[in-house]
Amino acid sequence: MSQLQTRFFTDNKKYSVDDVPFSIPAASEVQELSNVINKLLEAKNGSHSQIEFDFLVRGQFLRTSLSNHMEAEGISTEDVVEIEYVERFTAPQPEECMMHDDWISSVEADSEWILTGSYDKTARIWSLEGKAVMTVAGHTDVVKDVAWVRRDGLTSLLLTASLDQTILLWEWNSERNKLKARHCCRGHAGSVDTIATDPTRTKVTGEEEEVEEPPSRPRKKQKTEQLGLTRTPLMTLSGHNEAVSSVLWLDSEEICSASWDHTIRLWDAETGSVKTTLTGSKVFNHISYSPLCRRLASGSTDRHVRLWDPRSKDGSLVLLSLTSHSGWVTAVKWAPSHEHQLVSGSLDNLVKLWDTRSCKTPLYDVSAHEDKVLCVDWTDSRVRHQDNNTHLACINQQHTSSLY
Amino acid sequence: MRTVNLESQKNGTMSKAKEKSAKKRVVEEDDDQLPIFDKDVTEKKAGEEDDADLSDSEESVFSGLEDSESDSHDEEEDAEEGDDEEDDDDAVILDEILTKSSGVETATEPPATDKNTPTDIRNTVGNIPMEWYQDYPHIGYNLDGKKIFKPIRNKDELDEFLDKMENPDYWRTVHDKTTASDIRLSDEQVDLVHRLQKGQFGDVNFNEYEPSVDFFTNEVMIHPVTNRPQDKRSFIPSLIEKEKVSKLVHAIKMGWIKPRKPKETTPQYYDLWAKEDPNAILGRHKMHVPAPKMRLPGHEESYNPPPEYLLTEEERMAWEQQDAEDRKLPFLPQKHSCLRAVPAFSRFIHERFERCLDLYLCPRQRKMRVNVNPEDLIPKLPKPKDLQPFPTTMSLVYIGHSSLVRSISASPTGQWLVSGSDDCTVRFWEVNTGRCMKTLEVGGAVKSVAWNPNPAVCLVAVCFESTVLLLNPGLGDRLVVSSTDQLITSYEPPEEDKEQAVTWALSEGPEHDNGHRLTLTHPKAVKQVVWHGKGDYLASVMPDNSSNLQVLIHQVSKRRTQNPFRKNKGLVQCVSFHPLRPYFFVATQRYVRVYNLIKQELTKKLMTNCKWISSMAIHPGGDNLICGSYDCRLAWFDLDLSTKPYKMLRHHKKALRGVAYHKHYPLFASGADDGSVIICHGMVYNDLLQNPLIVPVKVLKGHQITHDLGVLDVTFHPTQPWVFSSGADATIRLFT
Repeated sequence: MSQLQTRFFTDNKKYSVDDVPFSIPAASEVQELSNVINKLLEAKNGSHSQIEFDFLVRGQFLRTSLSNHMEAEGISTEDVVEIEYVERFTAPQPEECMMHDDWISSVEADSEWILTGSYDKTARIWSLEGKAVMTVAGHTDVVKDVAWVRRDGLTSLLLTASLDQTILLWEWNSERNKLKARHCCRGHAGSVDTIATDPTRTKVTGEEEEVEEPPSRPRKKQKTEQLGLTRTPLMTLSGHNEAVSSVLWLDSEEICSASWDHTIRLWDAETGSVKTTLTGSKVFNHISYSPLCRRLASGSTDRHVRLWDPRSKDGSLVLLSLTSHSGWVTAVKWAPSHEHQLVSGSLDNLVKLWDTRSCKTPLYDVSAHEDKVLCVDWTDSRVRHQDNNTHLACINQQHTSSLY
Repeated sequence: MRTVNLESQKNGTMSKAKEKSAKKRVVEEDDDQLPIFDKDVTEKKAGEEDDADLSDSEESVFSGLEDSESDSHDEEEDAEEGDDEEDDDDAVILDEILTKSSGVETATEPPATDKNTPTDIRNTVGNIPMEWYQDYPHIGYNLDGKKIFKPIRNKDELDEFLDKMENPDYWRTVHDKTTASDIRLSDEQVDLVHRLQKGQFGDVNFNEYEPSVDFFTNEVMIHPVTNRPQDKRSFIPSLIEKEKVSKLVHAIKMGWIKPRKPKETTPQYYDLWAKEDPNAILGRHKMHVPAPKMRLPGHEESYNPPPEYLLTEEERMAWEQQDAEDRKLPFLPQKHSCLRAVPAFSRFIHERFERCLDLYLCPRQRKMRVNVNPEDLIPKLPKPKDLQPFPTTMSLVYIGHSSLVRSISASPTGQWLVSGSDDCTVRFWEVNTGRCMKTLEVGGAVKSVAWNPNPAVCLVAVCFESTVLLLNPGLGDRLVVSSTDQLITSYEPPEEDKEQAVTWALSEGPEHDNGHRLTLTHPKAVKQVVWHGKGDYLASVMPDNSSNLQVLIHQVSKRRTQNPFRKNKGLVQCVSFHPLRPYFFVATQRYVRVYNLIKQELTKKLMTNCKWISSMAIHPGGDNLICGSYDCRLAWFDLDLSTKPYKMLRHHKKALRGVAYHKHYPLFASGADDGSVIICHGMVYNDLLQNPLIVPVKVLKGHQITHDLGVLDVTFHPTQPWVFSSGADATIRLFT
């Protein structure tokens, strides 16, 4: 059996080993390499306990045997191979299951609370332990999206967007558990499917999914916090030919929107003009942006999660396609604290955790859901998934929001 | 010849023969003593011999009566008798030598003989046939011009025999015809004869194996073979040659001769039969077809066939009963004890005649078979993957109905979908999630649903039993929903109330809250309802073979109903409005009629060649139409082209239930009872000269067949290349 000269290194000082080349069997896989590192660490530090490691060869996760991987990547076996190792990201475990009466359309989590919007026309606030704290009822139709705006101590501001073409701004005092509707934002001519708050937490962007009278020009509206019960849009961003499915702020000056007309557009928040258009081949369902790696991830009505560079000048260049789902990708979300990880949810009932360094296969499949996954979110390093679980036996639909 | 010879011999006298033999005996006695004598004696002997020769020659004068032929014959005979070993060839050689030796003798001996004998006996007549001298006493002339006389005495057989017996030199004695004398060959002469017989050179001293000196070899020697100095002429330029050269140069200059003529590159040999016409008479040889071969005789033809080849009684009866053409064998196998007992073959003439007919009538020319590559017959169609986008995979299943879903329709924005089912409900679905937004109970199995194509109006027409219901689903823009309600309530009844075929009723109370707006009660069961593109007119179909009240056109804003047809032209299956012009399409069982609504006349009648039309769809451009039929066919009509189908597609295995065109993409779909939806690319060109391009691109499967029903309706998403299909398995499926 052939041997390979390898050198191991890591960023984590805790697990660093001596920088000397080792001779490793070429057919060894992740488990064997992990054992090697553990042995080395034990030799160095007697109190070391067994830890699972993952290995990166030239920025790609090792998933097959070392020789196969190097053959596929075209790396010469003559030289000393530099292998980076990191602590293995542990598999997500379901922690809590929050049952809803109806389908969950959206979820947004912050450090303490989880906000969910549901098809039963309400939004709910949950504690991280999975306890229902508050039910936000006020919409006359399905709540399509929810968002946290700001938290000042015990008082929180939150937004709910609904099919009834309004966005409601709520003020919630967590101590007294009191909820007060502060504003109602009108202006959309269709159902508001998505909202986003800007990083400064002062502005809100709502999305509508309806066609306006000027031929097929749906609009995107932006609102500011003003006093008064009813607000009107501060600015309308029009340009999409069809329904806008997802909107987000790249930073305080730039807005990004994805639409059914196969385009992702970047808007200037000041002037309201289109800066860049990224054109895909399929309808976009959801997009997510990571300020850490400055990449845009999109889920569309095919099986792929695509990564885009919003700043690239040559327009529509797909950087990477992550293919493993078997249905539409309905939700994507970058990890807030990790630049390589993202999570995607699909109509094939699966939630997949991806690492961009391992583009062929996802890190983990989360198959706890029994029905279509509609939205996902992270809290710190924990992933939250929404779905609609349908028990076919009973007429009543049970719906869960699971915390991993 | 022999007789002549004998007669000539008789001419000679017998007495002379005796004398001669006696004289010969004396000579022989002398010869015998020859080796013993001294030299002198030999000289003397030589003289005697010469005398003897003379005497012989004198004798030959007498033998002039003999003809030369007889002489030669005698000679041959002598040779045969005297020396048995010698062949005829030897005799010839001997003859030649004789003439030579006589020459030699004459050349060398005369000086010697001149001394002794003054006469030279050489004959001067030359090489002539000696029979010319047959009648003369002489046989020629010697050098002196004297006659050479034939020998007086003729040698007869007896002399010859005696001579042979007694003369020891007989074997070396040769008869000279020209002088008619016998010559005794000397030792040298005999030796010469022997040498020639052995194939050696006549000259004893000639060495035929002398070592050869190779003077003129191909190798260049350093020394010349001859050391002769070169001629003077070698150093003087030849004037003649100069003249010749200047002539050639002049000719070349004038272009009379071309130096270095290019070599002919054409092959020297050519295919003699290359340009031969294969149909020519000679060409038939190439197309030779061998004559049909006769079958080789088998066991049944044998005179004593094995018993299994003999026919039994029943078989024989059957054979006799059979028609001559049906018989397996043209004869009856028969057994004979031996080949001798076999009678003559009675059918011989008949069989030969049939064979001749076979040869005469058999095809003698090879059939020209057209070699067509089957691939070439398939029309060149673009590959489906070049015709993207079109639906390829099933993405969503809309579950909720409990019975078969008869009809579906998508909202003009593409956000909602309505479906009508046999479980008496109408459901509204959110397209992108598969969520059922609303369920409405109606009073019967829903036959057809149609969403108003006008985006400014939010109305859905639903037909069940004999009712057409207009619903406002309350989905989408609130403004549109409320303006629709306003449109309906703003109706003012006209002054004079006309009698109408249907009754219009405004819904109120809880039904209004459910979304019911208007109820149109028809006299008969309604099967189909369809909107005009503007969204104000609505057509409903009540199939009935016995009356003219089958199709009604309603105007929603004025709540007016009219029956456009006075005559019943057949059982109406479905109707449709032209998307742009005021035309109206009515499909009966076998025909599609196109009416002009303004002129109120029949414009066209399309023959579908189908047994029973089930569904129909009009291309958004308005010039093309597809018809699905229950006999598994889909007919595409180009209205500008003909009233016959432009193309018939038979892709489905079972009856077609629904067909649909996409509004923007060049796609059409058909759903059938075999549970599949077939997507075809149907590109219509603006150019009138270019026919529509139809390429089947995808078969979508997903629906389960329930009660022998598969897909009941198909419809396209208004903006995306997605297709919805509703099936008998109570599901609606979205293919993207």
